[in-house]
Amino acid sequence: MSESTQTGINKFVGNLIGIKDSFLGSFLRSRSLLSDRSKAAVMVNNFFLHVQGAKTHINTLRPTYTFGMGLISLYLFFFAVISGVLLMIYYSPSLENAYDSVKDITNVVFGGNLIRNIHKWAGEGMIVFVMFHMARVFFTSSYKKGREFNWVVGIVLLVLTFILNFSGYLLPWDQLAYWAMVIGANIAGSPAEITDILGITKYFDFGGLQKELFLGGTVPGKATLPRVHFFHVMFLPIILVIFLGVHFWRVRKDGGLTKPDEFGPAPVDEKFLALPEKKGGIFPTNKTYGLMELAHGKTPAVDKDIENTVLSWPNLVWAEFAVLMLTFAGVFVYSMYINAPLKELANPLIPENPAKAPWYFLGLQELVSYSAFMGGIALPTLALIGLGLIPYLDREPQHVGLWFSNKQGKSVALQSFIVAIAALVGLLAFVVNFGWLRTWFTDIPQVAIILVNPGTLWVGFVMAWSLFIIKKTDSTRMGAIALFTMFLVSFVILTYVGTELRGPNWDFYWSKSQWPVH
Amino acid sequence: MHRRFYLKLLLVSSIALLAFALLAAYKEINPEWKHYQNNYKELFMKNAKDEAMKEKAKAFKVEVQQLYIEKLNRADRCVSCHIGVENPMMAKAEAPYKKHSGDYLGKHPLSRFGCTACHQGQGRATNKEEAHALEHDTHWEYPIVPLKHIQSSCAQCHDYAMLEKNGADKVVRGRKLFLEKGCLGCHKVDGAGGILGKALDGIGTQPRAYFPMRYIQGERTQSAWHKEHFLDPRAIVPESEMKASINDEEADFLATYILALKSTEMPREYRRIRQTETPDMSGEALYKKYCIGCHTTGRESYFDEIFNRTIPSIMNPALLKSADNQYLKKIVSEGREGTQMTSWKPTAAGLTEQEIDMIVEYISKDRPAAKPEPFDVAKFRADVKRGGELFNIRCALCHGKKGEGELGINLKNPVVQSADPEFLAVTVRDGRAGTPMPPFGKDGVGLKEQEIADIVSYVKTLSQKKL
Repeated sequence: MSESTQTGINKFVGNLIGIKDSFLGSFLRSRSLLSDRSKAAVMVNNFFLHVQGAKTHINTLRPTYTFGMGLISLYLFFFAVISGVLLMIYYSPSLENAYDSVKDITNVVFGGNLIRNIHKWAGEGMIVFVMFHMARVFFTSSYKKGREFNWVVGIVLLVLTFILNFSGYLLPWDQLAYWAMVIGANIAGSPAEITDILGITKYFDFGGLQKELFLGGTVPGKATLPRVHFFHVMFLPIILVIFLGVHFWRVRKDGGLTKPDEFGPAPVDEKFLALPEKKGGIFPTNKTYGLMELAHGKTPAVDKDIENTVLSWPNLVWAEFAVLMLTFAGVFVYSMYINAPLKELANPLIPENPAKAPWYFLGLQELVSYSAFMGGIALPTLALIGLGLIPYLDREPQHVGLWFSNKQGKSVALQSFIVAIAALVGLLAFVVNFGWLRTWFTDIPQVAIILVNPGTLWVGFVMAWSLFIIKKTDSTRMGAIALFTMFLVSFVILTYVGTELRGPNWDFYWSKSQWPVH
Repeated sequence: MHRRFYLKLLLVSSIALLAFALLAAYKEINPEWKHYQNNYKELFMKNAKDEAMKEKAKAFKVEVQQLYIEKLNRADRCVSCHIGVENPMMAKAEAPYKKHSGDYLGKHPLSRFGCTACHQGQGRATNKEEAHALEHDTHWEYPIVPLKHIQSSCAQCHDYAMLEKNGADKVVRGRKLFLEKGCLGCHKVDGAGGILGKALDGIGTQPRAYFPMRYIQGERTQSAWHKEHFLDPRAIVPESEMKASINDEEADFLATYILALKSTEMPREYRRIRQTETPDMSGEALYKKYCIGCHTTGRESYFDEIFNRTIPSIMNPALLKSADNQYLKKIVSEGREGTQMTSWKPTAAGLTEQEIDMIVEYISKDRPAAKPEPFDVAKFRADVKRGGELFNIRCALCHGKKGEGELGINLKNPVVQSADPEFLAVTVRDGRAGTPMPPFGKDGVGLKEQEIADIVSYVKTLSQKKL
């Protein structure tokens, strides 16, 4: 009797002492992380890590290939979610309390101002880095060979990022929020321009319907805030997470990130990873690696590219962790020194002049200033459809995984870059100095302006230029490079003009200091 | 050895993050108000005389202080820095530790009134810059009210009789100036007043964004705007036609009163409007309220450069001699279209019939007993064409080619046009003593009666002429 108790106690004490190893072992499902097999098992057996392969291609780990843009976007989303949950504890989505609760967050909640800043800048940072990520994917031809649909998923994520940011912009119920809402509602209502011309507004008022769906009425008010809040904290994030899941899952199924067809490790790679000692493998490049590949002994090598992969644990995991801390540090420091704006309490009687949307929509607002329907609805829709169709219109399989494809791609990108800057700046300078149709012919019908305005002319020019490049180079890829380069340049220039150069009454000013002071 | 790049990146990022996190935490646990409260505690300990007080000082807890006044929907954290407002030992301390001056808090307990109900500013803020909100970029509509204007807040709940008795002299004098300088001649308050300027109801609670601050020299606040605007309206709003001739002190008083014209009322239980004043309905008071701004003493006409026209002398005997009260009442009621003279009838500027009568009586109090020599216009067969020729020679210089008025009054206005021809003829013949209008009859330039009748008939056609 006593002997068996003794044994039981011993067992208990033994287990207690060994708890660190046994817990870690159970967590990682492996006793130690010394062998390649156990390192691979960590990746495969962990719920969060298994979305990545047990082995990672060397190209993926070269910082200059991806610059970590997609990863940074994901981390920013995490920060936004975590800080957002904290903000939700104090924020109150009612007309009476919203503004005061935001004031309380910045004034008396411990670290509240910092948390709010992190939320704001992580969210807006997502826009920047998602755009960078898209540019990286585009310029390395990573939308090809089975990845076409994932590019489309990426476009959806981009749009969700914009809408999520915009919906959050409205929540503090300050002057910025209110007048951004008014602008948003006017754009949502702008299809009325078209239905008016067709004379069908009274049967089918699509613009009015959209506007009412957004505002829950005709002006921003009591009904607007709860629905915008619901979209911001529930609906949109859930949709975004679902699409993120699809996005990652497809990357995994497509064999991880793209890489050049011809690849060999370079000495410089030693800086970033532990080069593999083991040679050979049985799987083709466009498949991921299971555990069997790592079995000891000789296995038939069907594809030499297996030599160019390394174990994800620890190579990839460390890299990702490093980028995580870098992103966190970046957002944190930025948020410490730059406050998220919060203006006066919303007042429908005091229009902001100029009433501006958040900066990421100011490129569109510049187009809206020519024609609300074209700038706010038609052209952005066209741009999104155009972007989404790129992988289906350019199916040339060469040069995947190489920045700008080749020498010709680089020069096309450079040419398009210069032409786009010159032409767009010229067009805007013309509009600023001489006005447009309405200035010259005051009685001109609105339909003429909807159809012929600087925005539509510019989009027409971009399309024409891309076709010209396709014809000149006999390559759809080159045409795509021209189109995408011009898209990026337009986004940046129009956003800059809308943000920095437009003042009261949407007049042109070289700097904010020249605005008529109020 | 391997993976140096990512490990280095990880190390550097983590160290940077840790350092800044510590810095952020340090800043967070040492906010501005804590510094003040620590100093206050020290001061409290030092000033404490007896043991009980010392114990109290020792027990003082450094934390955010907030007065939440549910009925006023205010959360005032001012007391986080102004921590000694209720402590008598802090009577001689410096701001922000100082006790509140006077015995105001005795009658207006903090727990019931808070701070911003009287002082304005941003109660929810916890640092000086945002709480006082004097700068434009603090994005708060109601900056703290300077103490020289603070009596504007008393008028939220107290009537002026009580304020006068209890020494709220600034707002009382501001109100007196407001009523005696003729402000209501151009501005409506409570439905009565001229229409040349903006109605002033609720101007005391108008957000900062309503006031063009471009030319303001001092702080960009409402109170500074009002004062600078009173001293020189056109320096602040270049296109303004406002008249103001007051000194610096008066500008302060007036600004105080203007700030008291609030649109939001305190809850009924806070208000102490004990007696409703019976307004002074004497002709003189009404004249000062509504007329004096333009007509000054009423004894002399003068050319006003801002209005770019002559403002007639309405109390001059020559006018009163020929214009009877009914005619004067008509002018006051209908105004003079085409000039700055407002129509004062109940449906326009909002005066009652009785008030207009009082004003007319006041204006005409010095009417000479003698009637003017009659002028039987009907006797003459007037020649309009000849009248026009004479008008161009004799009258157009002052009254304008088409009678639109400049130095002389606008002759196209309906009151002149509908006036009795005899009245016009007498005016032309005898002139208006005390104004630039000379006599044109036999004592003056020597126009014949026939010629005067011609001119009068021509003047009667002026309303059809386009400018």
